[in-house]
Amino acid sequence: MKQGALSFLPLALGVAIYGFAFGILAAQVGFPFWGVAMMSASVHAGSSQIVAVEQFSGGGALVGAALAGALLNLRYIGIVASLTEILRHAPLPIRLLAIHITGDENWALTMSENARDKTIGAAFLIGSGLVSITTWTVFTTLGALVGSALPDLERFGLGFAFTAAFIAMARGMFRGRGDLLPWIGSFALTVALVLAGMAKAYAIVFGAVVGVTLSALQRRIRS
Amino acid sequence: MSHSHWILIAILALAAALIRIAGLLAGSAIRRSRFAPLLDDLPGAIIVSLVGASLADLPAFGWLAATCAFATAWVTRDVIATMIVGVASFAGLSYFLA
Repeated sequence: MKQGALSFLPLALGVAIYGFAFGILAAQVGFPFWGVAMMSASVHAGSSQIVAVEQFSGGGALVGAALAGALLNLRYIGIVASLTEILRHAPLPIRLLAIHITGDENWALTMSENARDKTIGAAFLIGSGLVSITTWTVFTTLGALVGSALPDLERFGLGFAFTAAFIAMARGMFRGRGDLLPWIGSFALTVALVLAGMAKAYAIVFGAVVGVTLSALQRRIRS
Repeated sequence: MSHSHWILIAILALAAALIRIAGLLAGSAIRRSRFAPLLDDLPGAIIVSLVGASLADLPAFGWLAATCAFATAWVTRDVIATMIVGVASFAGLSYFLA
């Protein structure tokens, strides 16, 4: 467990900076520091939290905001499924703890270390996960404390930080040319629907459905 | 913190737990099913739609700032660097063009 915790420390710096920035943004849209702490400890999913808070602060429907955030987390079905072998011998309470504290970064670290050395397993995952969730919770809370003491930064363009974060996340998720057509379809339809007067929360759902449909059609044509 | 804030946190936490437990209980089966590609395609489609919804009602300088953020993201693949360049571009361009 100690090995996992120590190995994760360099990555924890990135988690801390990202968490601090999210905390500032969440405080600026009305979340108190303890609300941010509660959300970070109980959800522990950066992109999901950012999406939900942005949608919520933008006046989107509550359910739509929560749904958008939750759907973004669907990838965790695959991530947790890939841990089946590593967690096979762990008792259920430990398995439940492990999957809650697993984030993108410590999962990737554990899997890469496990590929190199099969003795790396549940203890490494839990050690790195504990550092991950602690760092995320502490630094989002610190960010919220700082953010609530700052004046309204919206007029300096801080609201655009969410949009920029989404753009960076999209870059990280881009898998190659096969994504171009579905993504252009999603983007164009969403923009068109919002310009036509549809609520953003619904436009996002329609845009995402079209993107997924285009991806499926592409796969069918190729196969 | 309003009731809406509480409800948002509760739904997000519940959904995050259920999704992770689904991965633990049925993950392997889902990954082998015909729905597996959907799990891979959906996050990107949602994020791109979110970018579209964020930009749709912004003036031209917002789209220019997004172009700067996109270029930064493409080169650096770094969320923080993209946020800094995006916000700085947005603030600078709005000062001169708004």
